Amino acid sequence: MFKTFFFTEIKYTLKQPMVYIFLALFTLLVFGATASDNVMIGGSVGNVHRNSPYTLAIFTSILSIFGLLVATAFFNNAALRDHSNNFNEILFTTPLSKAGYFFGRFFGALILSTIPLLGIFLGSYIGTISAPAFGWIEAERFGEFSSEMFINNYFLFILPNMFFAGAIIFATANKWKSTVISFTGAFLIIIGYIISSTLMSDIDNETIAGLVDVFGINSYSLESKYYTAVERNTLSPGFNGILLTNRLIWTGVGILILIVSYTLHSFKEKNKKLKKQKASKAKKVVDFNLPELNLAFNGHTEWLHLKSFFKISFLSIVKSVTFKIMFLFSAILLVTDLFAGFEYYGLKSYPLTYKVIDSITDSTSLFLLIILVFFSGELIWRDRDSKINEVMDSSPHTSFISLAAKALSLIAATSILNVFFIICGVIYQLLNGYTRIELNVYLLDFFYTNLWAYVIFSGVMIMIQVLVNNKYIGYFVSILLIFVWSIMLSIFDVESAMLHLGEGPSLMYSDMNGFGPGLLGAFWFNLYWVLLSILALLLAGAVWNRGMLGSLKSRIVAANKQVPKNYKYITLSVFVVWAAVAGFVYYNTQILNPYDTSDEREQMAVDYETKYKKYEHVAMPKITDAKYFIDIYPYKRDAKIKAILKLTNETDVAIDSLHLSLSDFWETELNIPNAKLVHNDEELDYVIYQLEPALQPQQTIEVEVRSEHISLGFSNSRGNTSIINNGTFLNNMEVLPGLGYNPAGELSDKNDRKKHDLPPKDRMPALTKDSCKYHMANYLTDGRSDFINVETVISTAGDQTAIAPGSLLKQWTEDGRNYYHYKVDHPSQNFYSFISARFEKATRKWNNVDIEVYYDAKHPQNIEMMMDAVERSLEYYSTNFGPYYHKQCRIIEFPRYSTFAQAFPGTMPYSESIGFVIDLEGEDTDNNIVDEVIAHEMAHQWWAHQVIGAHMQGSTLMSESFSEYSALMTMKQLAETPMKMREFLKYNHNSYLRGRGQELEKELPLYKVENQGYIHYRKGSVVLYALQDYIGEDKVNQAMRDYLNEYKYKGAPYYSTSLDFLDHLEPQVPDSLQYLITDWFKEITLYDNRVKEANYKELDNGKYEVTMEINSHKIKADSLGNENRLAMNDWVDIGFFLDDDEEQLYQEKRVLINQDVMNFSFVLDTLPAKAAIDPRHLLIDRVYSDNIKTISEE
Amino acid sequence: MSTLKITNLSKTYPNGVKALDNVNLELSNGMFGLLGPNGAGKSTLMRTLASLQEADTGTATLDDIDIFKQPGELRKVLGYLPQEFGVYPRITAEQLLNHIAVLKGITNKGERKDLVAYLLNKVNLYDIKNKHVKGFSGGMKQRVGIAQALIGNPKLIIVDEPTAGLDPGERNRFHNLLADVGEEVIVILSTHIVDDVRELCTKMAIMNLGQIVFQDTPQNAIDSINGKVYQKIVTRTDLEDYARKYSIISNKMVGGQPLIHVFSDEHPENGFEQVNPNLEDVFFSKINTANVLV
Repeated sequence: MFKTFFFTEIKYTLKQPMVYIFLALFTLLVFGATASDNVMIGGSVGNVHRNSPYTLAIFTSILSIFGLLVATAFFNNAALRDHSNNFNEILFTTPLSKAGYFFGRFFGALILSTIPLLGIFLGSYIGTISAPAFGWIEAERFGEFSSEMFINNYFLFILPNMFFAGAIIFATANKWKSTVISFTGAFLIIIGYIISSTLMSDIDNETIAGLVDVFGINSYSLESKYYTAVERNTLSPGFNGILLTNRLIWTGVGILILIVSYTLHSFKEKNKKLKKQKASKAKKVVDFNLPELNLAFNGHTEWLHLKSFFKISFLSIVKSVTFKIMFLFSAILLVTDLFAGFEYYGLKSYPLTYKVIDSITDSTSLFLLIILVFFSGELIWRDRDSKINEVMDSSPHTSFISLAAKALSLIAATSILNVFFIICGVIYQLLNGYTRIELNVYLLDFFYTNLWAYVIFSGVMIMIQVLVNNKYIGYFVSILLIFVWSIMLSIFDVESAMLHLGEGPSLMYSDMNGFGPGLLGAFWFNLYWVLLSILALLLAGAVWNRGMLGSLKSRIVAANKQVPKNYKYITLSVFVVWAAVAGFVYYNTQILNPYDTSDEREQMAVDYETKYKKYEHVAMPKITDAKYFIDIYPYKRDAKIKAILKLTNETDVAIDSLHLSLSDFWETELNIPNAKLVHNDEELDYVIYQLEPALQPQQTIEVEVRSEHISLGFSNSRGNTSIINNGTFLNNMEVLPGLGYNPAGELSDKNDRKKHDLPPKDRMPALTKDSCKYHMANYLTDGRSDFINVETVISTAGDQTAIAPGSLLKQWTEDGRNYYHYKVDHPSQNFYSFISARFEKATRKWNNVDIEVYYDAKHPQNIEMMMDAVERSLEYYSTNFGPYYHKQCRIIEFPRYSTFAQAFPGTMPYSESIGFVIDLEGEDTDNNIVDEVIAHEMAHQWWAHQVIGAHMQGSTLMSESFSEYSALMTMKQLAETPMKMREFLKYNHNSYLRGRGQELEKELPLYKVENQGYIHYRKGSVVLYALQDYIGEDKVNQAMRDYLNEYKYKGAPYYSTSLDFLDHLEPQVPDSLQYLITDWFKEITLYDNRVKEANYKELDNGKYEVTMEINSHKIKADSLGNENRLAMNDWVDIGFFLDDDEEQLYQEKRVLINQDVMNFSFVLDTLPAKAAIDPRHLLIDRVYSDNIKTISEE
Repeated sequence: MSTLKITNLSKTYPNGVKALDNVNLELSNGMFGLLGPNGAGKSTLMRTLASLQEADTGTATLDDIDIFKQPGELRKVLGYLPQEFGVYPRITAEQLLNHIAVLKGITNKGERKDLVAYLLNKVNLYDIKNKHVKGFSGGMKQRVGIAQALIGNPKLIIVDEPTAGLDPGERNRFHNLLADVGEEVIVILSTHIVDDVRELCTKMAIMNLGQIVFQDTPQNAIDSINGKVYQKIVTRTDLEDYARKYSIISNKMVGGQPLIHVFSDEHPENGFEQVNPNLEDVFFSKINTANVLV
């Protein structure tokens, strides 16, 4: 019996087209992702093969989500086919076996539902064969296939996922006999996945996240999170670890569901529930009289029609099961997301209104879109589906009124949801004790963005349903329009928002700058879309099918005849207004503010390189002095800059031409004495001036540069966020033309370069000891200047403060504008910022230095702590490294369009979204990221601004790694226990290990780092922190201080390198630890330490003997992640924790580990809870959790 | 007094079916019954008159309203109960009728309320006016349908197969209801139930294969075949034989044996007995001109 049903199920379905359509879809999708750079799933970049086991596993696990649709189709069908064909009463009266029927159908559907997913392998295979053959992608970006890749993915992802999903869907389908509820079952699975992904964002919850993810996607990404390129190219997901546990758990749950469903399953018809009739109340006696009717058909009637249609449609949406389900799901997601908080390095940000709004958008927008698409079809087809269409169609109303009411009811339903979410958000804020609730921001955000999106989608989706005249094809077209259309546009390199339904400049609310520069554009785009939406409804109203279904053509003919004249006039006038708005938007976004598309930019970078690369090493003078006169008009969003630059020929040849790279953004006028413009490439903004006479060595000329930016109208995107109403932020590199050819303008991605036949490019010149031309320049200003004096006169609006580098010499007001005159106190890097905003200012004095924090009035919370951090930094750095040469330390808040803090000489702009909005009032905040960032930027005043490395590998070690180290040292002073530092550093360990997995080219050892963040920040901090622990803080500081003293404020001809620092470090390291310099700085070294056994026994004297067995290896990796395990001969800490929370470290001891397996035995006074190797997590270890083991009795 | 004038109306569907074949009718106030077998084109004619479908050729006017050119005007004076009448889920009878009353131009809230109450009472649904219509039985839904067709002051009421699914009691109520309004407006009642027409209509037409094959008052219709219809109970095996020899207009089973009616100007003898014809005989004699066994 089982066999019969099993094979019938398979045979039946194989005869249907559905399975082949799905198979083709998956094949096509993966083929596209394998063979084209334009389609992205997951992602394989850099050195990872496009068909690597990792990529395939990511494809498989992610496409499992889409596989749900397949599963729903097949399992629902298998369970309900007999019911929907009304065959059940015949079939179930025959003597068939329940088990055979139930499991035959189920397993038939299971096998079937995995078939479409085989398209993943098929697509990957075809892509691998054809992409190199047709020359789309080079053969070297593909690897070998192995059978393991197919088998493991099939049995780890496809089969278990389909089984679990199938069990749920089959069970719900059998129980409720309704397709809608089956879809709900499928949806529940997705919710589980999303919740798991939310958990994943915090590393403390990773394991739970890996276990609760029903698809195993997060379990796999957890397993593979530290995979290097080599591992991604060779390792298939394996039957072990958390992935296997996860699979077993969910398969088990699936079996359970199946068994329960089987026991509940019965062939008998479900008894229809009979509701008890309520005892009828005493009847009121009513007089029924046919009233005298006064019929009226006028404007008022139409209004009543609109109201009545609206009421009926609205009720039908909000009372429907689908709506309630969507509502519930989005609410669950929102609440989950909100209560996950706004985590940042273990701290939480205040629940700011804009964060809550972001959270609402993230967790609910998909559901709202589904509601719009689904109900646009439902409402249009409801009359027909309910068979009341003929009555409605023959009633005296205008079709447009009925369609408009439907659109309005969609808008109202979604808006009400939105308002509900806002209420949830406000409650969440209040629960957190946060009282700066900005209802106006909530409402304005809704008004500026979502409301109009609903209007647009409602109108257009309704038009689609009316024009297409088939509900499901209508859905299909709608979904196509939403998802596929934008992919199409990006393939054809069209970026105009006017063609992306509902798009426009995106708004980002900032406490400083409100809704920001996109607002004007958003207004016009909204108008453009709303008019289009009304036009769509008018059009739909004209061709709306009243009565019998006719072809579109016949309906247009009929419309022509029947549509009243004034309707045509109204439509025409809306069209005219819309066209005028469209013209205006076009004028603003394409003519007034033209932009380059991504393909154009790529091509320009290629042209720039091919045309001008030859000038890269042409001799250029250096900027040796700069004076700025800057006028910022924040409310007009204009800026005018005049710079007087002294250019000095520091080479030993005469310079006869000046090469300059201009920018589109600035209108630049150059006034160069005795110069003639000989080349002017307006396309690529490259100009060459001939100097007559030539600039002789050591000779200086004074050049005047005038740059201005005038904001006109609005643009296609948000527009520039550097000159804005409140929080203008410009740096000198962007306001002035670049001297000479700029290699940073070249394409950097190696595959992009190959596509355009450009030679491979080194990220950075190689590290050399012997003085060469790369020692002439530092990596920041690239040889265009050394340490110079800068003077600035800057003006801004009367209610704003403008800040430039250096001491404020003079301040005055003129014509209602504020003027400031600044001058640096010590020659500095030619790298600084100009800022203007409405600021509050907090000050403090430390020795002769003014500590100043410029902040927004809304963010006073952390200012004192920030000044403490500055003070601590000044104290520690000047004691340990050397004097501070500026007379002020300024921290300046800027809007959250960027999320960073940056150090310029004496000034440190700091984004509002970090630091200013993080809640430092709770517990455990004495050691926090806000302080760390400030201490880091402060450290740059020494490391980068006093000494800076040459333009070659390894230089960011002395700026970024040193700053991280310095910051850690200020924190270490505060840390009450050593375990606090471990808590903080775990983020750095994690980021380093993840970062090396995502390396696009090659991982380098620390001393050759090529501006790679995961190395110079993350590994650098970990290594230097461990180093000071091994050789002593004072020794490391001594080495750094010696290095600083030798190269401080020294420019060309010799900028120092990491080798120069290592020369100073080596004498500070005892011979026994010299290996650390090789292991940690010069090579890539990881450790695999673990406590295998840890036991204790109580001794007669009341003491405890604790024994532990330790396994230990050292791992050397090459630049791609190939590993080589070596024997240990290294010093490593071992120790104990008295408590389970690992807060009380006990009896830590550094021992020499020189065997793979070693046993240690200690006699201790107190019995500790856990034993550990490297208890403070100094060494880089991919699996740290096995370093610690709970001690058990022998 | 209104006049509905249908001239030369023809409609052929894309699949070649000729649903209306040069239909001409002129109707004034009163109940007009349109009889016809399934597929005769009744519903096409009804929908065409209800402005829900275009005809290929011909015109239809209600007084000075050209139905095809001014559908909006027609809809203001139309009451229509289609053959298939369903209702929205999750909406009560009262809400639904109120909505339709708004659509029909009853702008005064009080009037609307009274009217809806009046009609609900008339169709015997007043007590359950707050129940969701979806849970109603077929007959209850049909009563809602009847109520909605009467809303407003229609000049033309078209009811397509209205009594299908009604129990005898409800059917009587419905007949009374229609009779109340039928004198002042044009009511077109399309049906295949002969008794409906006999009991209600002052005028009738029989439609077959898209054509009006007969048009008169019911009494005249019966009179026209008076004395020409004969019946006989025959055996099943002889049925074929009789079919060849006589113009059989109908046969039905009585007590397990076929009772045949034949149409004949003279007494066919052979055991046939003359019967008083009823409307059913008229109906069959008009549509069963080929005298095939049905």
